[in-house]
Amino acid sequence: MSSAALKDPDVTDALSTDAVSRRMGELFREQQQNIFVHADRLFLWLMVCQWFFAVGLALWLSPRTWTGAISTIHPHIWLAIFLGGIITAAPVLLAWQQPGRTLTRHVVGIGQMMMSALLIHLTGGRIETHFHVFGSLAILAFYRDWRVLISASVVVYVDHVVRGIFWPESVYGVLSAPIWRSLEHAGWVLFEVTFLIIAIRKSLGEMELVAERQAKLEFLKAGIEQTVAERTADLTRENLERKQAEEQLRKSQSQLAQAQHIARMGSWEWDLTKNKVTWSEETQRLYGRNPEDVGSPMEVCIEERIHPDDRLRVNQIMAESLRTRQPFVCDHRIILPDGCERIMQGRGEILLDDRGEPVKMFGIVQDITEAKRAQEALQRSEEQLRQSQKMEAVGQLAGGVAHDFNNLLTVINGYCALALQKEQEVRPVRKNLEEIQKASERASALTGQLLAFSRKQVLQPRVLHLNEIVQGMEKMLRRLIGEDIELSTFYDSSLKNVLADPGQIEQVIMNLVVNARDAMPRGGKLNIKTSNISIDQKSSSRNRTLEIGDYVMIAISDNGVGMTEEIKAHLFEPFFTTKGLGKGTGLGLATCYGIIGQSGGDIRVYSEPNSGTTFKIYLPRTDATFEPVVISDSGRLSTGTESILIVEDDPSVRALTVAILRNCGYQVQDSSNAFEALILLKRNPRFDLVITDVIMPQMSGKELYDQIKDQLPHIKVMLISGYTDDALAHHGVLDEGLAFLEKPFSPAKLARKVREILDASVLVE
Amino acid sequence: MTSTVTVWTDNVGIHGSSGVNNGPGQWPRTKKTRLCPQAKPVRSFLTGMGFAEIPAMFATFFNGRILSVVLWLVAAGAGFAMFLNYQNIGGETGATSPHWPAGTRAALDRTHDTLIMFAHPQCPCTRASVEELNRLLARVQDRVSVQVFFYRPGQFSNDWSKTDLWQSAAAIPNVTVCEDVDGAQAALFGAETSGSVFLYDPHGQLLFTGGITGSRGHAGDNAGEEAIVALCGGQSVKVFKTRVYGCSLLTKCDTLTGGTVK
Repeated sequence: MSSAALKDPDVTDALSTDAVSRRMGELFREQQQNIFVHADRLFLWLMVCQWFFAVGLALWLSPRTWTGAISTIHPHIWLAIFLGGIITAAPVLLAWQQPGRTLTRHVVGIGQMMMSALLIHLTGGRIETHFHVFGSLAILAFYRDWRVLISASVVVYVDHVVRGIFWPESVYGVLSAPIWRSLEHAGWVLFEVTFLIIAIRKSLGEMELVAERQAKLEFLKAGIEQTVAERTADLTRENLERKQAEEQLRKSQSQLAQAQHIARMGSWEWDLTKNKVTWSEETQRLYGRNPEDVGSPMEVCIEERIHPDDRLRVNQIMAESLRTRQPFVCDHRIILPDGCERIMQGRGEILLDDRGEPVKMFGIVQDITEAKRAQEALQRSEEQLRQSQKMEAVGQLAGGVAHDFNNLLTVINGYCALALQKEQEVRPVRKNLEEIQKASERASALTGQLLAFSRKQVLQPRVLHLNEIVQGMEKMLRRLIGEDIELSTFYDSSLKNVLADPGQIEQVIMNLVVNARDAMPRGGKLNIKTSNISIDQKSSSRNRTLEIGDYVMIAISDNGVGMTEEIKAHLFEPFFTTKGLGKGTGLGLATCYGIIGQSGGDIRVYSEPNSGTTFKIYLPRTDATFEPVVISDSGRLSTGTESILIVEDDPSVRALTVAILRNCGYQVQDSSNAFEALILLKRNPRFDLVITDVIMPQMSGKELYDQIKDQLPHIKVMLISGYTDDALAHHGVLDEGLAFLEKPFSPAKLARKVREILDASVLVE
Repeated sequence: MTSTVTVWTDNVGIHGSSGVNNGPGQWPRTKKTRLCPQAKPVRSFLTGMGFAEIPAMFATFFNGRILSVVLWLVAAGAGFAMFLNYQNIGGETGATSPHWPAGTRAALDRTHDTLIMFAHPQCPCTRASVEELNRLLARVQDRVSVQVFFYRPGQFSNDWSKTDLWQSAAAIPNVTVCEDVDGAQAALFGAETSGSVFLYDPHGQLLFTGGITGSRGHAGDNAGEEAIVALCGGQSVKVFKTRVYGCSLLTKCDTLTGGTVK
């Protein structure tokens, strides 16, 4: 049958009716069968009992029969035993082995009637025993099977008919009786049987009703159970879905809480009608509030945590937002219970009711402390970058100027020196030449400072012992600072060595001492202290970082006027000075900053207004051994006869150099560029020395140097320059093994340097 | 297939049987189905009795069950037949004088009829005779004088005869109970079977002789009782002699199949 047909209510009802009818029949037959079986069991025991009763009755009533004085066992006893046994046997066996069968019931009915006849005879035909017949019929009615009653009645009738025919007196009390008299007894039996049958029919009808009710109840129960099962399944499914939804909600809430925690962002809600603030868990944690504080008025919240300086502003912003109904953003500081200060950014919006009145304000707060600090650090970095770029630009400018300026000064200074060598007498010309030379030297110092702060100068570091440097300067410094200032030195006897250019370090110390002196116009105390310092944590200041390691520190302290933060911020900038116009160039501290930085160290300043200033110089410690340098300067130019090739693009410097060296006895050739020099060297590879400028067009002096070392390694090379570039020096420090002479140089310095190189037994590699 | 289940909300069990569907919300009316085989019309009676299945019965007649039942019926019937035959075989009756015997200890009532009964005190069958005597006397009232002689062999003590049967007889009003040692009186009257009754008129003329039970030890209406009642009432009867059912009063009892002992 199709499912569509099954959905038709009429079809469904018809099916249900048939099903109920079938089920009713099943239940009825089942109940009837139970009754049959039950009655069979009853008669099983009843028949057995009746048999025993019959035997007992015979033993009691007629135990023996007599012939005069002689007695024997009465035949009734044998009759009760055997005939009673025969009568009992078949019903009992069938009721025992085949209960519920139709044949069993009929055999039981027939047997029961036979037992009645036996008992009646055993009791001498007592009228009371005849009640056994009627009682048996009533008991047989337990079967609720009228056919059994008919079978039993037939037995009674047949009994009477047979006895009426053969032994009428035993039945009717007369010697002969008409056949119809048998109907008299059967009639009474039939009388009872008729009403028993009526009762049985009624009982069966009730059984039908019960079966029908039960069938309907079963169907109803099945329907209800199915409905319950479906509903239970629905509920289970709904429960599962609800649990899944709750789980999803919990997961979402957890993820939200995690997200808020990671973002350090919390949410809040302010019920304006009740003036109660609800916080999210993260908000509570950010503001250091307890969960039980939820529901506090907004005023309390602001009063408790907002930084006092920000409360008014926060209140104003929120009030403005309430007034304009516009969202707001408000950065503010909070003070946590442990005293920590954090920077928060709050955002909020207004929820309006139907009348446009604000009823709720909700939003988020985010801890932006780190972001703020990062932003400030970025700003500082940008500022430092700008400063660095500015310094670099100034350095580039200074370097460019110094290069040409050094060439000029080299020429001026050189020719002055040559002229002074020729002018032996004291004449006005010589005095003028000496003034020119002094001016030239001052100009050289100035270019040196320019190159120093721009870190374009060429450092020639050596292993130094700062105690000895300071001790060597102490007398000069005392003269420099005057008598109003008391100089105290504290030397660390275990001070380690450093690798630095001694002249530059002396320049730094002198600059700092001069600054200290200027900071103490009315006198004061100046302390110079040296010590070993180990830094176990990175330390940054300005755009420099001191790496972890061992350092040698020299601290120069005064108790002068000190500096403000503003001054400290620009202290090492070139051309920044607090001294009056014409009193300072603004290059002193910039020079110090450049030299120390170029030497791999750092200089830090600690100062408060009216509390003096301390400069601390940190230079990397070296384990190399200190070697004192002995410089002998006899005042005479060193001479020689070796052949030298001068490569210099500046014709004045080239001519001066050629003149100086020829004056010293050398065989000199010159070239204006590196290519020409290489041609000369290939043509005459017996040159002993090549002196080449570094900064030249087309090919630099370093490239020339590399070519010579590659092709003519026996020829020595000396580089001369006003400043160097990265090809020649690493961060301005001359690469190891290079022979170098800094411009401007004097004839004596040139001659001495040349002689040193030529006398060196090992070729410069 | 998805099954559709109709849920009925009607009160279960209270409904008609018109076979009409009353629509949703009510029980579906079931057709009146006679489930009870006994409730079928008479047509099914034969079927119910198995007559409609006679061929089938024949076919299965010789199967074990039916055959066993038939044999059982035959055995039981035979048993009953033997028993009834035994019940209806009367005892021996001796030669009876038509006049009051001389020498008897029994007293002849000269004003009423005299009824003499001879009984064996241990005979179970005589209990029915005593009961019938009681019933008979109730019917004839004081129109008859009754004497009951209980047999006692001489070798037994007096207690041997004082049984419940003696007591029952003695309890009947106007009944005289006495012993008949060794059956001497019975011999005078010609009574050989317990329960033998003799009725004499006041002149000593024998009116009736025989038993007053319909069969052995079986109480109830019987021809002997009816005849005595009629005779006592002065009516004429057709039956003057009936069979006597009881134990033998003699040493030889022909009524017993087990043999008699003298």
